[in-house]
Amino acid sequence: MEAVLTIRGLTKRYGSTVALDHVDLDVQRGEIFALLGPNGAGKTTLINIVAGLTRPTSGSARVLGHDVIDDYRFTRRAVGLVPQEINFDPFFTVSEALRFQAGYFGVRLTEDRLAEILQALDLWTKRDAGSRTLSGGMKRRLLIGKALVHAPQVLFLDEPTAGVDVEMRQSLWRYVRTLQARGTSIVLTTHYLEEAEELAERIAIVDHGKLLLTERKEDLLRRYSEKTLTISLTARLVTLPESLRTIGAQLAANGLSLSITAPPGEDLGRALAAVAAAGVAVRDVETHRARLEDIFVSLLHQGAAA
Amino acid sequence: MISRGLRTLFEKEVLRFMRVAGQTLLSPLITTALYFIVFGYSIGGRLHDIQGVPYSRFLVPGLITLGVISNAFLNTASSLFMMKMQGTLIDLLVTPLSYAEVLAGFLGAAVVRALLVGALTWLVAAIFTGFAVAHPLLLLLDLLLISIAFGAMGLCVAIWADKFEQVNFVPTFVITPLTFLGGVFTSVSMLPTALRRLTLANPIFYLVDSVRFAMLGIADSRPEIGLLLLGVLCAASLALALQLLRSGYKLRG
Ligand SMILES: Nc1ncnc2c1ncn2[C@@H]1O[C@H](COP(=O)(O)OP(=O)(O)OP(=O)(O)O)[C@@H](O)[C@H]1O
Ligand SMILES: [Mg+2]
Repeated sequence: MEAVLTIRGLTKRYGSTVALDHVDLDVQRGEIFALLGPNGAGKTTLINIVAGLTRPTSGSARVLGHDVIDDYRFTRRAVGLVPQEINFDPFFTVSEALRFQAGYFGVRLTEDRLAEILQALDLWTKRDAGSRTLSGGMKRRLLIGKALVHAPQVLFLDEPTAGVDVEMRQSLWRYVRTLQARGTSIVLTTHYLEEAEELAERIAIVDHGKLLLTERKEDLLRRYSEKTLTISLTARLVTLPESLRTIGAQLAANGLSLSITAPPGEDLGRALAAVAAAGVAVRDVETHRARLEDIFVSLLHQGAAA
Repeated sequence: MISRGLRTLFEKEVLRFMRVAGQTLLSPLITTALYFIVFGYSIGGRLHDIQGVPYSRFLVPGLITLGVISNAFLNTASSLFMMKMQGTLIDLLVTPLSYAEVLAGFLGAAVVRALLVGALTWLVAAIFTGFAVAHPLLLLLDLLLISIAFGAMGLCVAIWADKFEQVNFVPTFVITPLTFLGGVFTSVSMLPTALRRLTLANPIFYLVDSVRFAMLGIADSRPEIGLLLLGVLCAASLALALQLLRSGYKLRG
């Protein structure tokens, strides 16, 4: 595989704040990569260094093999950035904003391409509206449009769906996948973990400027995910049968339910069989699978403890 | 060759001030026209001719210089500062535009606005005082260099400023006083000795004087001094602006 983004030893200090601390990271061509981490972790700092908005203290970032500082004219053509903060120029309409942005990149925005972007972002009916008159979510979609006008090979989405409604979020996800299908590599940050779970193929978690891990999403979910079986009982159980105790079952204080957690990577079949064999009277069964959100929280706690 | 990127920035900057032409063209025009009517036309009639030129006519080059200086400065300063405040500067910073292209785009629009204000001021004044221009090419060169120099200064101030107040600092405390004391309204021969010394130490005096020579064929000093000074001002302010853009000072964290 070919890396479109190569980050080595990337460090950024703001006075005594270390926003990024020797980060090494590779993003492969055509993948959707999610950068997760709590507020202030350093996600935006990393993205902004690659886009040329922030200068690193040390270390390097290369896009398609070109250094983002020494060869900025090349890398900026290759990169599209949807910044975290909404901005808009009240002097211009939606179409004008997109045309100008394309022009800065030396690209003439054809009517077809303009229409495609406006339609994908559901801004077609607002094409001649002043940027000031857009709603918050529309303004964010306009930001996405501006990042796409020059058809970048690597697209950075810094919280692209903050403030975007549910329906539009899903249609944005579809569009992100369309872009990926066309060969665009995508790096996104988000605080909606279901968004990362839905879209990303690989996930990195940063905290306090350090990269805690980078893993394929499935591996991460499999490795950390525990499945839990919760059984509601028809009658109060006073003591837990020995066969269930040995597989780690826990009886609720009221004696009306018990739960069994299968270790990561293991299924619940053994637990179910044990319950049946023990002959307890089952009223209902519920399973819970750890989601990225649970994994994320527990990883950050481990990170903080370490 | 002029790249599409540079052309786009230039067009966008021109469109920006044209969208608010009342404020960016008409309002400065009215201000200078008022100066002309009050000082030149009403009071001027009672003043002696200066080097054979009626006072109302003598006044025109200084008023044009005043308009060109402040509009060139304000165009780059307010545009860049607003982009900084609105966050739209990001849109420019992520592009492959070179530092020189960014500078040229902003300056190009500033020159257009400044020369438009200058030309309109001249037109209004010329209706009363006549359309003759002694050295048109020199005049164009003077005004072009003035707009470039002050446009570049406006850009530097906008890069440096954190508050709008600071953007206004330079026009209020530097440009306006220096211009008013820079021979816009008077010939040095009319001034008491102390003020005359002060005027001769004021760089803007030489710019006004050079423009006056180009328009009317009369000068207090040698017109080449103004041109030379303009060359130096342009080179210095362009170099500073380019250096600021390149260093990322206050623009790239
Ligand atoms: N311009 C700046 N000056 C000083 N400190 C800064 C600056 N920009 C960011 N920081 C600091 O760097 C650290 C990382 O910030 P960054 O914006 O990268 O976080 P983030 O992961 O994007 O957070 P969020 O999820 O809130 O967007 C924070 O401690 C922040 O306060
Ligand atoms: Mg951020």
